[in-house]
Amino acid sequence: MGVKTYPINIAGVHRELPVVQVGPGVAVALFNMLGDTEVVEEAAKALIKKMPADIDVLVTPEVKAVPLAHALSRLTGKPYVVARKTEKPYMINPVSRTVISITTGKPQLLVLDGTDIPLIKGKRVAIVDDVVSTGSTLKGLSDLITDVGGVVGVVMAVFTEGSPRDDVIALGHLPLFKPD
Amino acid sequence: METYPITIGKITRHVPVVETLPGVHIPLVELMGDVELVQAAAEALVKHLPASTDALLTLETSPIVLAHAMSAIVGKPYIVVRRKRRPYMTDPIIQEVESLTLGVTETLWLDSRMAEKLLGQNVALVFDVVSSGGTMMALEKVAKKAGANVIARLAAFHQGNSKLPITFLSEIPILQTS
Repeated sequence: MGVKTYPINIAGVHRELPVVQVGPGVAVALFNMLGDTEVVEEAAKALIKKMPADIDVLVTPEVKAVPLAHALSRLTGKPYVVARKTEKPYMINPVSRTVISITTGKPQLLVLDGTDIPLIKGKRVAIVDDVVSTGSTLKGLSDLITDVGGVVGVVMAVFTEGSPRDDVIALGHLPLFKPD
Repeated sequence: METYPITIGKITRHVPVVETLPGVHIPLVELMGDVELVQAAAEALVKHLPASTDALLTLETSPIVLAHAMSAIVGKPYIVVRRKRRPYMTDPIIQEVESLTLGVTETLWLDSRMAEKLLGQNVALVFDVVSSGGTMMALEKVAKKAGANVIARLAAFHQGNSKLPITFLSEIPILQTS
């Protein structure tokens, strides 16, 4: 039995994504940018062309989109902030929100370190993610940014997944699959 | 807030000093979110990368940006070992991190799809901070289980008194309260 794959093209870079079952009756094309420097760098170059000029700061959820945020920050000179999935003992006055993650089905914490809040408060924020699917992480992160006084100016992702959506600037779209 | 100066190349950061145990204070370095510091560390560390290196091996979370930046400079791929099991993993390599004082503190996971890429490869381990070396030894075991040869151990920072076979750029002191 061969492994089912789904072909993608990101800014001219071709990859075959493995299609893996993640829950009863649902499988996804597994897009993992971690370790794929070519995809991250090319996606960053393509996304900055679509980024509004008035964005002050990038905010990304831990973990898989962090290299993309790093690359976008390096190319644009705009700072980036990572929303962590656990509260760290060294954080000062952290602010958090709980969301339900689609990939794990479990409650997921999103945390901003209080020391990062001055970078967001009163600023126009671009949320940066790898894949926006149900948007549960996106909603939680948007609320968190609003809570600390930031304005979400744009949401940027490499892919949207599932139902098409027009509230995210993306480079491509991934369908959901039925398991064999 | 008490701070301590940390320098890599031309970049200096006055990082916060945190008390990790009663009387033990350490400067807290964070690479994530600091593009300048990461680029400076990556540019310095790639000079220590053996020419025969096929791939970089790192673990989540903070050293990922360093591995990415090194990878972008030298054109070699990197692989990230996870600290949690992910739902998509099949036949992952599972490796416990052991600490002399705390026993098993956490578990490392590497999906078989990633492990296959390491077979027979010469890999360089990449860290942000190495202190006791427990995590480093666990990552080395992951590499060996995947059939890779560890040919270099690179870290931006070393902290503490351990004598480990690592190449690092800067020493972070452990500050004791007298």
